[in-house]
Amino acid sequence: MLGFVVRRVLQAVPLLLLISVLVFALIHAAPGGPLEMYLANPNVRPEDIERLRVALGLDRPIAEQYVAWLKGFIVGEWGYSFTDGRPVLQRLLERLPATLELIASAVVVAALVALPLGVFGALRKGGWVDHTTTVVSFAGISLPVFWVGLLLQLVFAVALGWLPSSGRASFGDGNLPDRLSHLIMPAVVLAAVHAAAWSRFLRSSMGTAVQQRFILAARARGIQERRVVWWHALRNALLPFVTVLMMDAAIMVTGAVITESVFAWPGLGSLFTEALARRDYTVLMAFLMMTSAAVVFLNLAADVFYHALDPRVRVR
Amino acid sequence: MTDVRRCVWFLATTLIAAGVWVACGSDVGGAGPSNDLLIIGYDREPDLLNRFSTHILEDIHSCVIEGLTTTDENMNVIPVLATEVPTLENGGVRLREDGGMDVIWKLRPNVTWHDGTPFTSADVKFTVEALNDPNYNPESTDGFDRIESVDTPDSLTAIVHYREIYAPYAIQFFRGTFPKHVLEGRDIDRATDYNRNPLGTGPYRVAEWKTGEYILLERVPDYWRGREYPRIRRLMFKFVANTNTRINQLRSGEVHIVALVPWDKAREVRETEGITLHRLVGNSYEHVTLNQREFEPFRDVRVRQALVYSLDRELIVNTILDGLAPVIHGPIQPPSWAFTDEVRHYPYDPVRAGELLDAAGWRDADGDGLRERDGQSLSFTLITQAGYAIRENVAQTLQRQFRDVGVGMQIRMIDGTAISSLWFEGKFQAMLHWWHMPADPEITLFFAKDRIPPAGRNINYIENDSLTALLYASDRTVDMDERRALLWEAQRLLAELVPEIPLYNVTRLDAVPANLLNFKGNPTNTGIFWNVHEWEIR
Repeated sequence: MLGFVVRRVLQAVPLLLLISVLVFALIHAAPGGPLEMYLANPNVRPEDIERLRVALGLDRPIAEQYVAWLKGFIVGEWGYSFTDGRPVLQRLLERLPATLELIASAVVVAALVALPLGVFGALRKGGWVDHTTTVVSFAGISLPVFWVGLLLQLVFAVALGWLPSSGRASFGDGNLPDRLSHLIMPAVVLAAVHAAAWSRFLRSSMGTAVQQRFILAARARGIQERRVVWWHALRNALLPFVTVLMMDAAIMVTGAVITESVFAWPGLGSLFTEALARRDYTVLMAFLMMTSAAVVFLNLAADVFYHALDPRVRVR
Repeated sequence: MTDVRRCVWFLATTLIAAGVWVACGSDVGGAGPSNDLLIIGYDREPDLLNRFSTHILEDIHSCVIEGLTTTDENMNVIPVLATEVPTLENGGVRLREDGGMDVIWKLRPNVTWHDGTPFTSADVKFTVEALNDPNYNPESTDGFDRIESVDTPDSLTAIVHYREIYAPYAIQFFRGTFPKHVLEGRDIDRATDYNRNPLGTGPYRVAEWKTGEYILLERVPDYWRGREYPRIRRLMFKFVANTNTRINQLRSGEVHIVALVPWDKAREVRETEGITLHRLVGNSYEHVTLNQREFEPFRDVRVRQALVYSLDRELIVNTILDGLAPVIHGPIQPPSWAFTDEVRHYPYDPVRAGELLDAAGWRDADGDGLRERDGQSLSFTLITQAGYAIRENVAQTLQRQFRDVGVGMQIRMIDGTAISSLWFEGKFQAMLHWWHMPADPEITLFFAKDRIPPAGRNINYIENDSLTALLYASDRTVDMDERRALLWEAQRLLAELVPEIPLYNVTRLDAVPANLLNFKGNPTNTGIFWNVHEWEIR
């Protein structure tokens, strides 16, 4: 087991290196650069722009810039943001808790909704729960996040006045109910797509599980139906689901980008949008490398978890 | 089935219970605006609060750091930390024999920085030296690099020696000064303490900057204008990047002020209870740049004039902009002291447009609806920034109206950062956009023949000797009446040459509480907070 983990971690290194080359090339290939936003301001003269280009090292060849970035990145010097001159790591870390809070809540909400819907859908294919779930989940998958977000704001904040339209707290850190009231809409919007997809996924894997022969055997032995469903069948259906859940949690970071900007949620997603618009290369690189690493390692964690849950797939 | 029912009931009751608890505990909608707290929905988080380093509009900054001068709602330069604006008449400006000039700034006595240290001429001198120090990277050193030295004969007098005549000298210090005692000998680019919580002399100081959420300003106890100022205790700038969300927050009462409301949102905002829409003719203008270098037919003045005649600009303004922004005829805007409307106008006249194009040799010989000459069709591509519904609509209207006189136009939408590098390299044929014009009416940068990129922003690539001579002469004239006469002449010439198609004035719409007193607005990039100390909720 330990050997397996070590091997997978070592495999991740060249993968991340390759990702870093691709990402670096891509963001530098995108038209415009960190200095382009100055151009629209007539107070900034061409001399100023040239001076800043040299100061930021943007006049050097791209390969040289990459090597300089990589050297710094490896030793933990992630550089300074082009936008505000503060260390990149500090900018990312101060945004991390908000994003984790949002993603964790969205995962919980999505799992709470998807689990019963998926199970009942599989048990009673064609029943009213199943039909309703099918319709609602297709709607959830199809509707654009920003549109649903704005619609919820109009209904619950502007028209009904029940929930605040955006932000993380009214003032300072807020009290718990205040924080929760700010969390509800973004978490629900972010969860919606995944809840829909997960319930479909569970419905099919649960459908397969209940048709297995060991389920028939369990029933034949006279085990209670509830235990057959929730213990024997669900445990098997959950195995592939764990992988999906872990992968999706990493992908949620990217989904959170839109949700966060619609709800002015002060997390990594809104930082990313802002950095992208300003072509803040150092922040973009750090963010993209962090999320890539998260995907790679959550993938690994899913494998490890899978092994722990299912003795059949243990490696030799 | 019992399992299904039980589960549905459990979920439903839990949700309702949680909802009730949350609704009871939170203060949704917030209190209305008061003299205790005013909340501004702000479109972006500032990068820095250092006015010389920041790349965004200095609204928040200007509540904390005051200039020697500022510009008011009529774009007049008014003194703030200076006792008066230096001019030739009051002896504050001296032209030297060697072609240079001296500007004598008299500072207001008894002004202190927020830490109690007196504000003096040494701060002015330090600021000039810091900005000219190659180790510091401010956004712009415009004007400062023409300063030779600063003399400080006493603590309230700073004499600024320019190497050459510099007409916009009066707004040289509108960004204020650095506190010498805080920043002397330091690397200002990395002085995070100052850059995020600057020491100023203004009515407010930074109480809290919650990254990604808001900046909270609180009043300083003994502001130099008197203890009764400022009248509002706290200002909160809440960062809400999404325009729709910002308007929703205004309507739900979570924010009290939203600056620069898009024209197509005006009706929605106007219906909101307790909100007034403040309208002010601005200092920017939307126009179509015609790149003569990339699209050769634009070099013929008859073609350019025909394009203007073919447009019903009143129609655009009355429909797409809801009548909120007026049609304009040149680059200098009505609020400027240098503005004149006595220039050639081009009313909607498609017949005249056709005649001009005929005369220029562009005729539709093959009957495809497009004019051509020597086998080339009169058809070009217009670029504009993606994501602005208004620009998309205007571009489509232009396309249709040009088409009606036999001119083809394709539209390409490009994202904001990408479009900047395109135009700066001159790689476009026509562009729909606006310039944010500074308070000083210097337009040399946009129209002088030697100011094509990278030396300037003449992206029409117009090369006209008389225009260039007039503009440079106006830059080197300090006497306001003489300078005005030169700029009037330049505006008349520009209207004849039509290097670009002026469309409409970028009129500001600011949504503010109906019970906010003394809100005056500002047409320039000085921002609406220049007189924030007077604001008061009735």
